[in-house]
Amino acid sequence: MIRTFVERFLLVAFAAFLVSVPWVVPVIANKFWVSVIAEILIWSIFAASVNLLFGYVGLLSFGQALFFGFGMYGVGIGIDQLHLSFWSAFAFGVSAAMAMALITGIFAVRLTWHYFAIITIVFSLIFYFLAVRLKPLTGGDDGINFSLPPVFSFGATRYSLTDQTFQYFFILAIFAICFYLMYLVTRSPLGRAFLAIRENDLRASLIGLNVYVLRLIAFVMAGFLAGVSGALFAFFGRYASATYMFYHVSGDGVVWAIVGGAGTLFGPVVGTTLFIFIRELVSTHWEHHSLIVGVMAILVVMLAPKGLVGLWREGLSRIGEQKTSSELNAKARLRSQP
Amino acid sequence: MSAILRTENLTKKFGGLIAVDNFTLSLESGRLHAIIGPNGAGKTTFFNLVSGILPLTSGKVFFGGREITGLKPHEISRLGIKRTLQIKSVFPQMTVAENLWVTRQASQGFLHPFRAATRDTQTRERVDQTLEQIGMTALADRTAGTLSYGDVALLEIGMALISEPKLLLLDEPTCGMSPAETERAVAKIKELARSIDIIIIEHDMEVVFGIASDIIVMTQGAILARGTPQEISNDERVREAYLGRPEDEDYVEEAAHA
Ligand SMILES: Nc1ncnc2c1ncn2[C@@H]1O[C@H](COP(=O)(O)OP(=O)(O)OP(=O)(O)O)[C@@H](O)[C@H]1O
Ligand SMILES: [Mg+2]
Repeated sequence: MIRTFVERFLLVAFAAFLVSVPWVVPVIANKFWVSVIAEILIWSIFAASVNLLFGYVGLLSFGQALFFGFGMYGVGIGIDQLHLSFWSAFAFGVSAAMAMALITGIFAVRLTWHYFAIITIVFSLIFYFLAVRLKPLTGGDDGINFSLPPVFSFGATRYSLTDQTFQYFFILAIFAICFYLMYLVTRSPLGRAFLAIRENDLRASLIGLNVYVLRLIAFVMAGFLAGVSGALFAFFGRYASATYMFYHVSGDGVVWAIVGGAGTLFGPVVGTTLFIFIRELVSTHWEHHSLIVGVMAILVVMLAPKGLVGLWREGLSRIGEQKTSSELNAKARLRSQP
Repeated sequence: MSAILRTENLTKKFGGLIAVDNFTLSLESGRLHAIIGPNGAGKTTFFNLVSGILPLTSGKVFFGGREITGLKPHEISRLGIKRTLQIKSVFPQMTVAENLWVTRQASQGFLHPFRAATRDTQTRERVDQTLEQIGMTALADRTAGTLSYGDVALLEIGMALISEPKLLLLDEPTCGMSPAETERAVAKIKELARSIDIIIIEHDMEVVFGIASDIIVMTQGAILARGTPQEISNDERVREAYLGRPEDEDYVEEAAHA
């Protein structure tokens, strides 16, 4: 009860804050932080892709950067070389990521646990090196730069991501859609089936669930999320580069999702926000900021296995228990006073 | 009577060990079949072959006249063979009701990706009905991982029931239950047997002789004897096989005089 109430309130407050960012943040901090927040929104979708697999299906992927990279290059190559429009390039990037997830997933989801983790690393490494070698197409480590086509144009009025505020709201809208979809899926029969597989895959198959196909569906859905975030990041940075397909990007996603709270809808947002803030605040002063990240990740995994959101919920339910027990005591006292 | 389950020369080898040895068996519909036998006889392995969990070495399995050899566990489950596991297994972090819920929805083929699972009123009714059937209505919102062993066993039976199985395979359902729970479970199984075909593996001879109308005795992967409780209790070879277990012999004796 308490939890739903407090969390509803937080959600509304968070949404209100996100909507007000372009006006409020330049006043209380500076304009630079608006784009940091936009970046956090993009990477949260990426962390959500790790979370969908690990938190809901029980598959730990260390290769989501591959699909991020495909989303990114789909947009980059789509605009730079195929001269696609904004939306076609977006769709091209996301479809490329999903197609890649389907192809690699066919092999990967046959495996579980560390075997699964390893095969996802292997796939992402293969394509990372391919991207680096195929310089004419991908620009290799230097990447490709492109200029943005307009998002909408009505007659003479054009809306383009070059407008900072429009760009922020565009990213926020996609973020909201992705998390709403994720919310719907997690409480649907499909989402329940995912949880069943995470909990006990043998039992899941005995109740009639096709574990292989369901894992593959989840893998492609996660490819969708990673692809969307990669495509957004390409629009955001106006470039695509093979460096984002490297496994440290996948690793970041895993840390963000797990520290924030795997298996919770907003855990990845919490984790991503925390670590990107740390990066922005500390990296300018201290080059070894990744040390802090590492130590924090280890601490959270050891002390709060369900991540920060899990810790928070435990705290809330403890308060809730205290409240009900003190209420009960009060009632008991009332009754004992005739 | 038609055979609900039939095997032809069913064999399973684990390396050099023959766990199920050339099993040819026909189990008619309408009777409650029990499989008994000492530890390691191959009883669970037989269930694992029928339900598709383990690949078989050779032989064939037919379910109601249809060959199911080599089908995947979920395919066999969807044909209507449901089972419980010897080591009780549910979805520990879900509530009792959610366990039943997901089990019911799993058997429906299409899993809606966006509609709230709880909006499915037909499933809700069926879940409530099953909760009542297994007497767990009061525990509906308990996390399955916090249940007593006996309750987990009951929940497992509920999960096997909720999707209207044609054949139920129960692997030591009363193992770990208190005497009261055992009594409740046995009554339930007896009642179920009127509408569903059941094969039960059971070590508790009192339970076996109380509910089964057909008993198959397995040792070392093969059938040692088969017959009614009366026939089995009078069978010399069975008595010999069970000589090392005097407490069980009492029940055999009792049943013989019953
Ligand atoms: N997956 C497996 N791999 C290797 N050997 C196995 C496997 N499963 C069972 N066995 C072996 O096969 C034989 C039969 O085992 P099974 O579990 O079928 O016996 P059981 O009759 O169910 O015994 P219990 O009454 O103890 O449950 C045993 O010797 C066991 O060690
Ligand atoms: Mg066994």
